[in-house]
Amino acid sequence: MKPILWLASLRHLKRHPLQMALSILGIALGVAVVVAVDLANESARRAFDLSMQSITGSATHQIIGGPGGLDESLYADLRRQGVAPVSAPLVSGYLAQGDQTLQLLGVDPFAEQQFRNLISYLPDKSQESALPQLLTQPGALLMTAARAASLGLQVGQAFELTISGQQRQALLAGLYQPPQQQAAAMQDLLLADISTAQELLGRIGRLSRIDLILPADGSSVQSAIEAALPAGARLVPVGSRSSAMQEMTRAFGINLTAMSLLALVVGLFLIYNTLSFSVLQRRELLGNLRVLGATRRDIFTLVLGEGVLIGGIGTLLGLLLGVLLAQELLALVTRTINDLYFVLTVSELSLDPIGMAKGALLGLGGTAVAVLAPASEAAMSPPRAVLNRSRVEGSARRLLLPLGMTGVVCILLALLLLLPGHSLILGFFALFVLILGFSLFTPAVVAMSCRWAAPLFGRLFGTLGRMAIRGVEASLSRTGVAIAALSIAVSATVGMGVMVDSFRSSVQQWLHTTLQADIYIVPLAPSGTSSETVLDPALITAIEQLPGISEVSQGRPVKLQSATAITRLLAIRMTQKSYAGIELLEGDPETVWPRFDREQVVLISEPYAYRHNLRLGDQIQLETDRGRRTFQVAGVYRDYSSDQGMISMRLSLYRQLWDDESIYSIGLYLQPGVDTATIAGEVAALAAGKQALRIRSTRALLEASLETFDHTFAITRVLRLLVIGVAFIGILSALMALQLERARELAVLRATGLTPGQLWGLVTAQTGFMGLISGLLALPLGLLLATLLIHVINRRAFGWSMDLIVPGGVLLDALLLAVAAALLAGLYPAWRMAQTPPARALREE
Amino acid sequence: MGYEVSLQGVSAKLPPMTKESQKIQMNSHKTQPFIQLQNLSRSHLQGGYPQPVLAGLNGEIQHGESVALLGRSGCGKSTLLNLIGGIDQPDGGRIIIDGVAITELDEHARTLFRRRHIGFVYQLFNLVPTLTVEENLLLPLELNGWPLNRGRERARELLQAVNLLDKVASFPDQLSGGEQQRVAVARALVHQPDLVLADEPTGSLDAESGEQVLALLEQLVAVEQRTLLMVTHSQAVAERADRILTLADGQLDSR
Repeated sequence: MKPILWLASLRHLKRHPLQMALSILGIALGVAVVVAVDLANESARRAFDLSMQSITGSATHQIIGGPGGLDESLYADLRRQGVAPVSAPLVSGYLAQGDQTLQLLGVDPFAEQQFRNLISYLPDKSQESALPQLLTQPGALLMTAARAASLGLQVGQAFELTISGQQRQALLAGLYQPPQQQAAAMQDLLLADISTAQELLGRIGRLSRIDLILPADGSSVQSAIEAALPAGARLVPVGSRSSAMQEMTRAFGINLTAMSLLALVVGLFLIYNTLSFSVLQRRELLGNLRVLGATRRDIFTLVLGEGVLIGGIGTLLGLLLGVLLAQELLALVTRTINDLYFVLTVSELSLDPIGMAKGALLGLGGTAVAVLAPASEAAMSPPRAVLNRSRVEGSARRLLLPLGMTGVVCILLALLLLLPGHSLILGFFALFVLILGFSLFTPAVVAMSCRWAAPLFGRLFGTLGRMAIRGVEASLSRTGVAIAALSIAVSATVGMGVMVDSFRSSVQQWLHTTLQADIYIVPLAPSGTSSETVLDPALITAIEQLPGISEVSQGRPVKLQSATAITRLLAIRMTQKSYAGIELLEGDPETVWPRFDREQVVLISEPYAYRHNLRLGDQIQLETDRGRRTFQVAGVYRDYSSDQGMISMRLSLYRQLWDDESIYSIGLYLQPGVDTATIAGEVAALAAGKQALRIRSTRALLEASLETFDHTFAITRVLRLLVIGVAFIGILSALMALQLERARELAVLRATGLTPGQLWGLVTAQTGFMGLISGLLALPLGLLLATLLIHVINRRAFGWSMDLIVPGGVLLDALLLAVAAALLAGLYPAWRMAQTPPARALREE
Repeated sequence: MGYEVSLQGVSAKLPPMTKESQKIQMNSHKTQPFIQLQNLSRSHLQGGYPQPVLAGLNGEIQHGESVALLGRSGCGKSTLLNLIGGIDQPDGGRIIIDGVAITELDEHARTLFRRRHIGFVYQLFNLVPTLTVEENLLLPLELNGWPLNRGRERARELLQAVNLLDKVASFPDQLSGGEQQRVAVARALVHQPDLVLADEPTGSLDAESGEQVLALLEQLVAVEQRTLLMVTHSQAVAERADRILTLADGQLDSR
């Protein structure tokens, strides 16, 4: 590349700082969103890995049981039999201290040294005093210095913890200091002797699991252990639980990534727009360089180089912005994971180099792709023709038909891709092909609209109106792209908006149907810990005896873990009214309910049926405390509470098969005329001093559930706003450039006698028309996107079906957004041209 | 009043050539006409229909000759100039410049030929607005592979010749029209082309500036022994050339 050509190019960019800044910002935002989502996902994954690692330590295998855990005698038996010489028992559970959710880990300090050696994290001088306390003092715990400081606790101080809504006394026996790399993962981890943990968590005589270190080729050892295990206990490799939990959040991660890519696609439109404008703006200069002897390759390299420079700066800035944005997104991602999947504390952002490199590659690679067309356009034109602007528009017009046809083919291809399979990634790919097809189709639609609108605008606004519309058609190579970019961004907001609204309406409808009881009661516990939290049995009995209550339903949600997956099971004691609260999608209520109440059958939720490809009459095998059992699917029901799906079983059957008498929730059905608030008050009085409860009326629970739904979609809303932001900058830049490019034409009009006001009107009419076309085009695409998001993407990601509900407000908002963005974009050029004396504008040209 | 041209020793310094340019070396057949136009035809689309501008045109220009091309507006003067300059292709016929049939070269080879052997002066100057005066002159030299120090020396000599040495660091928009055209003239000659093509070089200038530019162009072409083909609509300007060609009805008439 010739240095002087570079110099000319760099100075051109420097002379158009606003144009360059907007393109850099567009790319930066696009890259930032991708990087931020990636970093947030990766940080959550890494935090999860570290937390699992710090708890599992060197263990290679684990013995796990059902929801009630393992009998602690199993550990002693295995040791005594000598089949598991390197093993350690463990009890874990979640508790609350103020607003903090903490994990309590009960270990045997002597057995666990080969696994985690947590006691070694105690400073030498405090080991002597803390260790005896830990073993002998009731409620004695260790915590990190950082957590103790944040809770305002000092060594030796007694404090209260809330476990399953019940207050427990604890004592801070010492402070431990995990190694630097584990500090973040372990900051919310409390350590205790195993018996202390059992007492605090209310699990006397039970273990959560037994950790083992088995030799690499330990198949005979494994067989010996498996032979020694009682029914319901299973030996699993240590990674299986971790990967089963990771799998739960996979679809969530893919959804976020796809949405972030949408922002980048809009950003790339922006780069394409800027550089094609830059080529048009310098068509005379480029023609001149060709006349002087610059080869096609020189010109191609020049334009490509400019693109790469803009893309490079934008990408670099995007990486920095991405890190900042990731800090904010991380909180939303973590909250969603906690709301939907499992307890996870992510205290720090992990700057994953692969995620950063991916963002950089997407930014630079995408820019290179976006710049290919304008660079080729500049390079392929013969020198004389480069001097001629009409040639560019001529070739753009010639491309209308082939582009439109390609667009139609893309749209059909996208629809074909959607027909088969369950692949979520293929679903998103089809979505992007659809968007591409639509954008290729857009210029043809714009050309047709202009032909139709010019006479109308002429009648309404005279020659100026006609001129405004013809100006759009005359610069189709640029206006077509700008309108396509705005349409896509607006349609994305329509698609996401309609999807979220439809989802919300479906959930609301489902909640109305499902919540049949008058009052719902659960222990006050951190989000995501329902399977580990239980209601005080004595309290349940007392509540059931309150006057005014006709029936009480009971629920016990648990997570069943096998070597490959975690299955959610809801054991439920129904009441007469409960049946009406379950909407069966498969199965006749007349036959389903009698079977459910008497036979060894289960109901499965819609997502569970979708994920496991199960139908009515199929069979499911579950590991129970009595061994493996087979259950027939008696029905499939609608459920939006878990995207992983759920199996429902009657409580009595569950108790026959698992050693677990716990109850997590109860629903109170009141006698006619009994006041809900009165009963709620009586329940609160009964629970006072015994267990902190969350007592909610149906209405309050409905509101709380919808609030959780809104939390879950907070990240969707943020990403939607970011896509709009990128698009807005894109359209602003494109339209502004378009109008500034017409400076000479506008100056001639001013010289001819057009007032600044009329000029303003002309520019506004043009940008407003472009906004209107974009908005109108965005509506069908947006509705198509919403249909795909609801019936394909949501279905494949979460297994939920729902009805498409189109709120008029979303469509009107979209139209207003497009027109407002376009009108705003016209403000600066109109103002500048109105301020510039015509003579100067003419001279500058 | 014209400018005195002093280019002592300049013509003795032969410009280096890039390897690519060397492949398309001219044959320097001094016994043959420098430019031969053979049965040249070219049409433009008007209202969707081809309108012939040049119809079987023939003509010759000799080495070192200064030729003015006259004709009414739209008769095809600029079209002919573009064809000779290799920035447009005829519908039929051949153009041979110093033994090289440029109409038979592919686009890339034509570019390299143009880069090495032809200099252009336009009515609207066509300087690169983002380069300084000196850099505008360095550009053709750089494209032709001149080392920077020699290129700078050559550019300064030309700028001194056009009396703009004090404007080396100025950008085109800081110069008057006359000054810009003088830079354009210097740029057209800086890489020592064999042929200078000028399209209405005084068309955008007032009488005095026009006269200065014209005198400069004539003197530089004479001193550097280049061939000049200048399109003009002015009889007075045309009269100053060695020969006048008139283009009418797609044919050349020489006098």
